[in-house]
Amino acid sequence: MIESTDPLLRVRNLRTSFDTDRGVVSAVDGISFDIKPGEVYGVVGESGSGKSVTALSIMGLIDSPGVVEADAIEFRGEDISGYSDAEMRDIRGGNISMVFQDPMNSLNPVMTVGEQIAEVVRHHTPVGESAGFWRELSRKYVTGTDKESDSWQRAVELLDTVGIPDPKERATEYPHQLSGGMRQRVVIAQALAGDPDLIIADEPTTALDVSVEAQILNELLELADEFDVSVLLITHDLAVIRETCDRVAVMYAGELMETSNVQELFNNPQHPYTRGLLQSIPRITDDREWLDVIEGNVPDLINKPEGCPFQQRCNYSFDMCDKPLERHRVSDDHIARCHLHSPEVDTAAHDFDTEATGDRSITSGDSGIIADGNGGDDL
Amino acid sequence: MGMRRYIAKRVGHAALVIYFVATVVFIAVRSIPGDPARLMLGGDAPPEAIEALRQELRLDEPVYIQYFYWMRDILFGDLGESIFNNQPVLDLLIGVAGPTLSIGLVGMAIAFLIAIPAGIVSATRRYQVEDYLATLFSFIGISVPGFFIGILLILVFANRFEFLPAFGYVKPQEGLVTWFSHVILPALAVGVPYGGIIMRMTRSSMLEVLNEDYMRTARSKGLSPRLVLYKHGLQNALIPVVTVSGILFAVLLGGVVSVEIVFGIRGMGRLLINSINRRDFPVIQGGVILISIVFVFMNLLVDLVYTMINPKIKYGGGE
Repeated sequence: MIESTDPLLRVRNLRTSFDTDRGVVSAVDGISFDIKPGEVYGVVGESGSGKSVTALSIMGLIDSPGVVEADAIEFRGEDISGYSDAEMRDIRGGNISMVFQDPMNSLNPVMTVGEQIAEVVRHHTPVGESAGFWRELSRKYVTGTDKESDSWQRAVELLDTVGIPDPKERATEYPHQLSGGMRQRVVIAQALAGDPDLIIADEPTTALDVSVEAQILNELLELADEFDVSVLLITHDLAVIRETCDRVAVMYAGELMETSNVQELFNNPQHPYTRGLLQSIPRITDDREWLDVIEGNVPDLINKPEGCPFQQRCNYSFDMCDKPLERHRVSDDHIARCHLHSPEVDTAAHDFDTEATGDRSITSGDSGIIADGNGGDDL
Repeated sequence: MGMRRYIAKRVGHAALVIYFVATVVFIAVRSIPGDPARLMLGGDAPPEAIEALRQELRLDEPVYIQYFYWMRDILFGDLGESIFNNQPVLDLLIGVAGPTLSIGLVGMAIAFLIAIPAGIVSATRRYQVEDYLATLFSFIGISVPGFFIGILLILVFANRFEFLPAFGYVKPQEGLVTWFSHVILPALAVGVPYGGIIMRMTRSSMLEVLNEDYMRTARSKGLSPRLVLYKHGLQNALIPVVTVSGILFAVLLGGVVSVEIVFGIRGMGRLLINSINRRDFPVIQGGVILISIVFVFMNLLVDLVYTMINPKIKYGGGE
């Protein structure tokens, strides 16, 4: 299951809530997971399930009225959950960087793409160029970025690395002069510029044409491999997860429902919600007239039901579902939060076949409650 | 399109605009009831004297003939002479342009210097004391007419504290400090309403920018909040402000007229009002043309600034 290497990022009981006029919205409700060095970790879920909020919470980018609490957010063994904004600024861009969804809006329209990359270089790598407030402002409004400077040269180099032709020329252009795919490459270059250990990619290809989507995604992952960077990939697209990730967490209503390595999640999903998601994917071999959809909507995050957030939509719900959920280990690297996996519940009586969908069976009878704080256990 | 061609094109447009303004003014002026000859000579003047004056002023000719002569003269740079005191209109206008431009430009500068920082603070400290204060002052500025602000300023700074002169204008050649002390109060009076609008524009534009994805990107890169705001946000926020400031320049010019009267300054506004009362056609026409030239020129300047701060706009071309 978990290698001897310590996790790069260890999140424990992360809770992010927003105090609104209608009440407190629990956008992220007690999630825990680990990302190992070099790993591509997927988080999948419907829109509104709290994926992006999770990313922003880790980055310390949740603004008031949002409140982020966590038992721990450990980055390379150090708890950054209590860091001040000034301390977080060294982490952001330098250790953890982000790739956002829409490359048109996530790049600044009035700055050259070269400068947008170069400023990350100046802030987070030892190029020996001042990144102080007044120096940066005069670069922006008075002198422009020195095209001979190391940071600019590095920006051009990075543009070349991410596959932008004629990078020297392109660096001087503005985002609107580039195509969507090119823009997202710039965003990736920008994310690599601070030499980070982890890139959080929040739906990095959702806003792109289908034709460039796979290409950009592959490039991102190849570069992550090349630069030895872990990736936290947030997506609503299970197909993307299957093709790219090592491990995956399924998120629903601010909670993680199931985590597993990727093969096992697709071959042997153990949470009714995950099964519902998988069944809603169209397949080429489909002889179904209609796709199977999960009926109903995500519950109101203000008055979330006690117990399992999925109970109202779940075909298998039974009398235990309003009890607080516990983590149940299905196999070494596979955990599901569902009462069907409680040792005292007879799954057969609920028509839930624990070995149902997969072509790869798992060793059964392994399920049991996992104690909190058991290092490296997700959910 | 290069900058030079762009400017040439814009100047061509400007000339067309000014021509239309001139024509409209020419017609409007002659539509005001009241005969200038009769007004000048008084109600009990003999009809022959009035008729002689009408002939001398070419007022007895058909309007289109008058228009033709006027246009011809303008093309040669001759704006005619005042009916009232026979001085060349151009000399009169040059005489009053100094005080009016001083008030207008200083007022504009003050407005920008106060309104833009206030708008930024107001947006970044939304719903806090600073925001409420800035918003209160901007609403007072927008809703109270300039001449009344002028009167209040006189009461406070000239009467109560005897700190600044309440009256008149001194040329900058006679000392910059005395010039400024005479200009500052009327400039404030015209600048405050203008600044009030600019401040609201800056605030709302900045609030919009603060919510933009690229601001979050900038923060995700580890930049300080100050740097995010001023390096990544400010220029974007100023784009709509610049657009509006050119159009609002008309508001400012309109304010100058009444403020000049309050401060007893012989400027463009006062000259125009007096000339309208005297039906001094050439002066009214010349004055309005001059104002429209200034207005068109200001907007050309604004557009040039706009192309500088918005890289999406290329001279004359689309996006």
